[in-house]
Amino acid sequence: MILVHRPDTETDVPAAATSLPGGGGGAGGPSGPDDEGGSGSGSGRAAGAAPLTPAHRRGWLPQVLRGATAIPLVLLALILVALAVKAVPAIRYNGFGFFTRSIWNLGNLYAPLVTGHGVTHPPGAQYGALPLIVGTLVSSAIAVVIAVPVGVGTALVVVEKLPPRLSVAVGFCLEVLAGVPSVVIGLWGVLTFGPFLSHHVATLWANHIPDVPVLRFFRGPTGNGQGLFTSGVVLAMMILPIIAATSRDLLRQVPRDTVDGAVALGMTDAEAARTVTIPWVRAGVIGAAVLGLGRALGETIAVAMVSGSLISGNVHSFYSAFTTIAATIVTQLDSALTDVSGLATDTLAELGLVLLVITLLANVGARMLVKRVATTALPVGRGI
Amino acid sequence: MSMRRSFRATASAVALVGAAALTLAACSSSSGSTTTTTAGSGTGSSGTASLTSLQKWPSSSVALQETGSSLLYPLFNLWTAAIQKGWPIVSITTAATGSGTGISDAANGTVNIGASDAYLSPAQVQQSPGLENIPLAISAQQINYNVPGVTGHLKLDAATLAGMYTGKITNWNDAAIAALNPGVTLPNLPVVTVHRSDGSGDTFLFTSFLYAADPTGWTVAPGTTVAFPNIPGAVAAQGNGGMVTACKSNPGCVAYIGVSYLNQAVAAGLGYAELKNKSGNFELPTQAAVSAEAAGFASKTPANGAVSMIYGPATDGYPIVNYEYAIVPTHQPSTTAAQAVKAVLAWAVDPNNGNAPTYLDQVGFVALPTQVQDIAAKLISKIS
Repeated sequence: MILVHRPDTETDVPAAATSLPGGGGGAGGPSGPDDEGGSGSGSGRAAGAAPLTPAHRRGWLPQVLRGATAIPLVLLALILVALAVKAVPAIRYNGFGFFTRSIWNLGNLYAPLVTGHGVTHPPGAQYGALPLIVGTLVSSAIAVVIAVPVGVGTALVVVEKLPPRLSVAVGFCLEVLAGVPSVVIGLWGVLTFGPFLSHHVATLWANHIPDVPVLRFFRGPTGNGQGLFTSGVVLAMMILPIIAATSRDLLRQVPRDTVDGAVALGMTDAEAARTVTIPWVRAGVIGAAVLGLGRALGETIAVAMVSGSLISGNVHSFYSAFTTIAATIVTQLDSALTDVSGLATDTLAELGLVLLVITLLANVGARMLVKRVATTALPVGRGI
Repeated sequence: MSMRRSFRATASAVALVGAAALTLAACSSSSGSTTTTTAGSGTGSSGTASLTSLQKWPSSSVALQETGSSLLYPLFNLWTAAIQKGWPIVSITTAATGSGTGISDAANGTVNIGASDAYLSPAQVQQSPGLENIPLAISAQQINYNVPGVTGHLKLDAATLAGMYTGKITNWNDAAIAALNPGVTLPNLPVVTVHRSDGSGDTFLFTSFLYAADPTGWTVAPGTTVAFPNIPGAVAAQGNGGMVTACKSNPGCVAYIGVSYLNQAVAAGLGYAELKNKSGNFELPTQAAVSAEAAGFASKTPANGAVSMIYGPATDGYPIVNYEYAIVPTHQPSTTAAQAVKAVLAWAVDPNNGNAPTYLDQVGFVALPTQVQDIAAKLISKIS
């Protein structure tokens, strides 16, 4: 019997990506129109209903906890306000050219300060964040492109193919990998993995790629291990555990009856995965990918170590040095503090705001994408 | 009724968090100022402050922090070892974080002694009136290169170096380099320029040299943080140690490194150049050539110690020579700290102690001339 599944209109992503966005839990009987589960929580009671415990026995703790829910909001507001206030002089000075220029010049720190655009600054100060923004987006994109297929593939194999003990072992390894500190991965990247990638892996294809417009990006000298390629792979390794673990949890929720039904109709395992399993978890995987993207966008120390820190140049090849917003903030802070006018540190605050906005846009875009993907009905009849 | 109570709970929690945040902000904003506990003996100090009289070691234990220049770091570690052996009551923590950090950390009171190869800029002096730059020793900077197959020392000058760092000279067999080195077979090897990514006194010295000796070819003003022209393949490294490693792993590299790392660079297989001085002679950074250059500036050093000895008139002088400065706030956090700082610095400047050949020869530095010792002594006596 083919089950018809009507997915929830309300999905909860990415913070609750481990909960199944595709609908109520597990395998079971046919879900009916009254199984909406509006808030996504498992309880049968509507939120905000009168508590069951009588007032005189409730105590002070629930009140305090209810008030404490405001703390994250307050902290976020404080951070945003502090950053915005610090960044105002830089925003005024840098203008819109900040997003199109490719220069990072603190100016002549040994000359007297001058005033311009309503701000005192060293003469010749000019800031542009284009290479930083491009570097952040491109390195995170590379990381997601590598990590999502590998992560989902790993999860598929773990859930469908491996014997239970082996799947527990692989799961454990993933969790250990997730727990490795970024600085340790960065150290390993700069000392061992980066040189290995550029001297032994990239050389396999770098000189054999034809000199054609798009592929030209992957040609050329493979460098000494610090660059876009190494950073993309290192970031992919860091976000792989999130994506694989979340996909594994999602895949476990796929009803076995539907998959068995597809196999009974004559599909191979791969076809069943492609037409039944993957579409079922598509929305959740997008949520997991956004979690990973969020981590990759903000990853600081590992990228600072393996990126090569090229601040005022645009990326011209897959192996060239580059930098990201987060890596620039951490490597340039000490230099920025030598600018007594404060413009350099204000520009770093402006960079922080830009990164916040990028992360926010990525999250919002992902939510919209998940909503679109989740509201289309499962194409059960397709491909048979 | 429960709504009103929960609103009150939320409001009280928000108020609590807000008050906590405000107090934290107030505390952190006042941490920059250091308070002095006694009236300083520095104002109107007599010219008879001698180095021996300043070396009065404290009677209670004190811990001092030093940070900054990686050029001075090896020598400062030698001094620290000797001081802690002779006077265990004083403990000194050192770090090599770059001259820029040395200046800014000393300015905001984070450390007792900041080390810098660059003197304070007028803007920095204006912002922190209590900050002094005290000459401790005379050092130099060499140009290292990684050109396999070349034995002996290549002759270079400011024009060729400016050409390399602006991208006009891209290969080691360029005509300009060949013209300076007749009879030397230069290989067909692309030039890889290495510069400092952190706020560096070495960058200040190198850019001062290029700016003074080749103003048409190099138009970027000197500074600890400078926007190097963007050349494909340029590498950024952190600290003098990082420069040695980067040059070693990039054949064709050219890098500016402090003379205290010369032995390390030579051991790594790097060569060092003979630089053309103002009189047209090519000199190596030997102690004799450094002394010759510094001798001409002994009488020109002002009372505040800030003078550039780059590209001086001495016929047999090495062109990149500088004073190593201790950037010290005149108001130290306590009388014991002030006494310890004065003793440490006076010990360092004393030609029988820190400025003796036993220490300076190990790093290739040269002792301060007597006039400059007196200037340093006067500056040290102002600390309280």
